[in-house]
Amino acid sequence: MMSGPSSLRSMASCWTSLTQSLKVPTLLKPTLLPTTFTRNFIVAPKREKRRIKIHPPIKGPPKNPLQALTTQALQTLDPNGTRQKMFSRHNKDSIRPGDIVQVRRRNGDPFSGVLLNIRRRGVDSAFLLRDHLTRVGVEMWFKLYSPAIEDIDLVQRKAKRARRAKLYYMRQPKHDFGSVANVVKEYTRRVRPTQRQRK
Amino acid sequence: MPPKISIWRHLKIGSFFDFISPIKINNASQFSSSSRAAFGGVKMKRVSSSTSPTLLAASKAAALERRRVPQRVGTLAVKKEMTAVYLPNGQRIPCTILQLDRVQVVAPKTKKEHGYWACQVGLGWKAPKNITKPMLGHYEKFGVAPKKTIKEFRVKDENGILAPGTIINADHFVEGQYVDIWATCKGKGFAGGMKRHGWAGQPASHGNSLTHRAMGSAGQSQGGGSRVYPGKRMAGRMGGHSKTIQHRQVLKVDQELGVVLINGPIPGPKGGIVSIQDTIHRPSPVVPEPHIVVSM
Repeated sequence: MMSGPSSLRSMASCWTSLTQSLKVPTLLKPTLLPTTFTRNFIVAPKREKRRIKIHPPIKGPPKNPLQALTTQALQTLDPNGTRQKMFSRHNKDSIRPGDIVQVRRRNGDPFSGVLLNIRRRGVDSAFLLRDHLTRVGVEMWFKLYSPAIEDIDLVQRKAKRARRAKLYYMRQPKHDFGSVANVVKEYTRRVRPTQRQRK
Repeated sequence: MPPKISIWRHLKIGSFFDFISPIKINNASQFSSSSRAAFGGVKMKRVSSSTSPTLLAASKAAALERRRVPQRVGTLAVKKEMTAVYLPNGQRIPCTILQLDRVQVVAPKTKKEHGYWACQVGLGWKAPKNITKPMLGHYEKFGVAPKKTIKEFRVKDENGILAPGTIINADHFVEGQYVDIWATCKGKGFAGGMKRHGWAGQPASHGNSLTHRAMGSAGQSQGGGSRVYPGKRMAGRMGGHSKTIQHRQVLKVDQELGVVLINGPIPGPKGGIVSIQDTIHRPSPVVPEPHIVVSM
């Protein structure tokens, strides 16, 4: 490739088959003097490459903000950590799928049923209860940390630990638990009066 | 008393006679039917040649004036995840976490030089080896580290321009304020009419054979010209384009985590780049403290 002043380019290109080196013409402009003639083209003196300055990045925010936000929110929603403990995987006595659970709500009647599913999503965690009302299967999702839930009670444990996390097979007539009303009534008679006195 | 003539009245009404008012009418040609002669042989100009500051409604400058542009610059953010926030009354509000990852103003754009006021804003960081030399020179010029993405945000005037290198953090936004959001929605590939346009399809049974999700008729027969009209909705590429959501509330701002919680879902995948700016539907929010931090 050519490199050098364009005014001399045509002159250089006609000297393609030259074998001897050219002498620098004396009539050359003073500004072009630093250029040197070699075989058949002009080479400009090597210039130092300008390095582009790259600025260092600024410090970024933490990569996983959700975890921090969750702990922050749970400090107000679940200050004692009771509900976290109640559904914790690390707690031996936690509520597990298959257990019968009663949820008392701030507004509205309590609802109880068999726990089919625990959806673990931090602040947005929820669980699914199934019961029968007027012989019709009813399922309800509850948000674990919702302020609308006053209390969550474990009514009865499943006799044998369920071997899967989602007990959707319990919707089939063959496996359906049916109404939990009797179990809950028994529980209320046995346990709740003492709780009421304490309150 | 002469009637008050405001520039806005002229801009909004835009009636034909607004053009006449700033220009002197020659008596001789007052009743001429030719539009040019009606203006006294004067060629109509976009901006009045008289001393009146009235901007003609049909001009480009007037259109620019009319355009609703936020006062403050917007920011880029990364869509993180969805979660929920509980109000004191127990109401649950689903929201999206947006994180402002090393958002900095890269370059200002001025009306004099570029024809409009805007700020080029960059997010994240990108290894310099993956950036072209012209762009590296651009970042060098404004003293900013190479960015993963850059985007321009229009602002109303020079008051909205921030200095290059200014860090835009989560406290740029105020809890409770409303924002407009742009993001690229998830691409669904080549989708049929039912998915793309919400058509009903055909019945599953009653003698139906092999046409359950077809688009049905594309138009009339001979009465409609025996052709399919342009713009007929059909199967095709769905999603993967930009979506704008207007007037969404900011539920929470966390300066330390660089996080803004926005009410409701936001288009695009997790990790997608989202643009947020003050909504054009409300006046600019009052920021309690100056947030300006210039790096270096």
